[in-house]
Amino acid sequence: MILYIGRRLLGVIGVLIAIAAVTFTIFYVLPSDPAAAACGKSCSAERLTAIRAHMGLDQPLWRQFADFVTGIFTGRTVGSGQYALHCDFPCLGYSYENSQAVWDLLMDRLPVSASLALGAAVLWLLLGLTAGVTAALNKDSLTDRALMVGAVAAASLPVYFTSMMLIYGLIRVAGLLPYPSYVPFGHDPLDWASNLLLPWLALAVLYAAMYARQSRNSMIETMAEPYIRTARAKGLPRRTVVVKHGLRAGMTPILTLFGMDLGGLLAGAVITESIFGLPGIGRLFYGALSTGDQPVILGVTLLAAAFIVVANLAVDLLYAVVDPRVRY
Amino acid sequence: MNKRTHTVLAAVLAAPLALAAAGCSGGKQAGGDGRNGKNPAASEGSVVGGTPQKGGTLTVLSNQDFTHLDPARNWVMNDMDFGTRLLYRTLVTYKSAPGTQGNQLVPDLATDLGTPSNGARTWTFRLKRGVTYEDGSPVTARDVKYNVERSFSPDLPGGADYAARYLAGAEGYQGPAQGKHLDSIKTPDDHTIVFELNKPFAEFPNATVMPTFAPVPQGQDKGPRYDNRPFSSGPYKIESYDRGKKLVLVRNDKWDPKTDEVRKAYPDKLVVVMGLKANQIDDRLIASQGPDASAVSWGALRPESAAKVLPRADVRKRLLAESTNCTDMVQMHTGRAPFNDVKVRQAVQYALDRDAVLTSSGGPAFNDLSTAYMPAALFGGKQPDTLKIPATGDTAKAKQLLKEAGKPDGLSTKITVSSGDKGRAEAIQQSLGRAGIKVTIETVDPSAFYATIGDTKNRTDMVYTGWCPDYPSGSTFLPFVFDARFIKEKGNSGNHSLFRDDAAMKQMDRIAAMTDATEAGRAWQRLDGEILAKAPTVPVLIRRWPLVLGTNIAGAYGHTSFGGQIDYATVGLKDPAKSQG
Repeated sequence: MILYIGRRLLGVIGVLIAIAAVTFTIFYVLPSDPAAAACGKSCSAERLTAIRAHMGLDQPLWRQFADFVTGIFTGRTVGSGQYALHCDFPCLGYSYENSQAVWDLLMDRLPVSASLALGAAVLWLLLGLTAGVTAALNKDSLTDRALMVGAVAAASLPVYFTSMMLIYGLIRVAGLLPYPSYVPFGHDPLDWASNLLLPWLALAVLYAAMYARQSRNSMIETMAEPYIRTARAKGLPRRTVVVKHGLRAGMTPILTLFGMDLGGLLAGAVITESIFGLPGIGRLFYGALSTGDQPVILGVTLLAAAFIVVANLAVDLLYAVVDPRVRY
Repeated sequence: MNKRTHTVLAAVLAAPLALAAAGCSGGKQAGGDGRNGKNPAASEGSVVGGTPQKGGTLTVLSNQDFTHLDPARNWVMNDMDFGTRLLYRTLVTYKSAPGTQGNQLVPDLATDLGTPSNGARTWTFRLKRGVTYEDGSPVTARDVKYNVERSFSPDLPGGADYAARYLAGAEGYQGPAQGKHLDSIKTPDDHTIVFELNKPFAEFPNATVMPTFAPVPQGQDKGPRYDNRPFSSGPYKIESYDRGKKLVLVRNDKWDPKTDEVRKAYPDKLVVVMGLKANQIDDRLIASQGPDASAVSWGALRPESAAKVLPRADVRKRLLAESTNCTDMVQMHTGRAPFNDVKVRQAVQYALDRDAVLTSSGGPAFNDLSTAYMPAALFGGKQPDTLKIPATGDTAKAKQLLKEAGKPDGLSTKITVSSGDKGRAEAIQQSLGRAGIKVTIETVDPSAFYATIGDTKNRTDMVYTGWCPDYPSGSTFLPFVFDARFIKEKGNSGNHSLFRDDAAMKQMDRIAAMTDATEAGRAWQRLDGEILAKAPTVPVLIRRWPLVLGTNIAGAYGHTSFGGQIDYATVGLKDPAKSQG
């Protein structure tokens, strides 16, 4: 098990370095020039050269990449001359647009994205699994059909449409909720939740629909397994058969899906955060794209990749806990 | 140019309503008058909401963060307004007044508008006594010199480059690192600062409105991080600043209003909420419920929201729509065929249906047609129409010009536009197509737009971009857009037509050396017409900066010298008790 984890962790680092290398190369061939963007609307050739040198953009690509990777593990000095800055470990570069280290920016925005992702995940798991399992246990009944038609309809709605409808219905017409404005959990938990309720709902509607369909199929398959018949034949109560034997095994594919979805959302839900004006990582990414803030784009890309690969690893390890048939 | 995203479809939908509400026919407009569209703001040139009361919290709803607040780096029109009206003072500033009065210079840190000598090569400013920073320490001439010097540092890019262009001995200077200072800025005592220029510059006081000429004490300088917490010499100081989220300003109790004739500082507090969705900002301000009644928008009203504002008199009376004074232009590559031929360029000039471009930009409520390069403010309020080309274009004349240029069958070319300008590009494409000029549109993301069009070798023949003057003078418009000496092979900006004209450049140098500002103004206006006749670019339109205010806002007007943004020196609340926070 320890060997397996060690091997996988090495793989995680390899994947992240490969993603960093690819992203770096893409920036190198793109026409956008961070030095020219920073320089302002009228910039002499000499000043552009000085700014490029200050940002380290005059170095060969391999050197810039080596500095970047080294910085992640040891920290590094960014810029030069009078205003050279030390960027602490783990240094993901420095955003000249935000005048902050990329890592600090990401950590500043992470609580917002995490609040959004975790709240939505709780909602969609509750809604999706309840609907899916209910439909599976009442296969081909009116309840099953109604739930699945609802799920297909909800899954077809793009998140921006659901978000706009929620804003229109619950804020503008009914006036039940304020326009979302992130309040830290530690500040006021109730305010935190009331401001996040709409974005949670917007995301949960989409994901719950997918989880309902997935968990229905998975449960139907599991409930047809011989060991379920055995459990029933032994006279175990229906609740024990469904929850302990059926649900546990039926959840393996759901776990895979959940790991990837949660990992992706932790790195920012660009559309949802932008529509609701939440200052999370998705919103940061959107802003960085429009201003060409390459260090931030690279940082968010790496963070997103890290969340996905770590979530993937966690899911693989959890298989052994959820499904007794899996062993490492 | 400010980056704005417009949805073409919504703009087209909004346009007829905008036309109707603005009192226009809705049909094609005749003539080339740049003021065809009536300004929809009920209060053009006057103050909305009466005189504010002191106190309360003014909220600013924004879809973005500031580009920079560090005075050495702050060079975006709206940011300059915010920074210099609230956080720091400059040697000279603009009068706090609506309409053309806002063009007037008034002393700020300085006691007057500066004294020229040596044929306007030397400028001396004396600083007021009793001006202090937020910690009570006095503002000195050395601090102004220090900030001008730090603006040269490559670590602090983005700021206005007037100091670099005009100060003697500035070539190669890279900031005050290792104690290197500029000898051309002298501070004989704490309250006197003398600038030695490399050539006569009669309008130097105008340049000292730029944040570069605000004070920064050396002990407070934190390099790039100063951007997050400028040290205040203005009426407010920063309480907290979460980049991209929220900025809170509170009163600087060390600011002495007796030393300041410009800033009224009505609210106790200003809160800028960032990262909001632009359409929601529009909706919130139109509804003006609860705390939103005490709010203003940072960004311009979107064309799509025009239909929710213009037909409603109660909302329209809360609308500001001052001109941005920025001219949008179709700029041609005059350095290569086919646009090295003046006849071909003139064909584009005549073929262009500016009226169609205006419609795709939200209609006459949000834009004025342009008949000259420099905006109306630089012509005393109205642009001349020397060419008399109809707003809808003159296709027959364009075809004739193409024939004279040896291209009777027309030509094919490409135009690069920022993705937000796609609707405008399609209008250009259609109108030029009628004259036989087939245009292919290349859309580029705003983040890569200026780098793409700044690559003079690889860029397309035409680009759509514009220019905003930094202050009301031709010297901050025509040389930036048409002086060949600023052209760079890569990272080129301003002169996107790559216009190389010796006669024009000689004129520019001659006018820049004039010490009589009125005479210089007339000379710039003449030169504008002379360049227009050579058609390196085609002026298309001048956008307005429409802003809806909350119902509790008072003392608001779009400041003509800050691109139509609200003058933050004078805005406040009708009833401070109704604001929150």
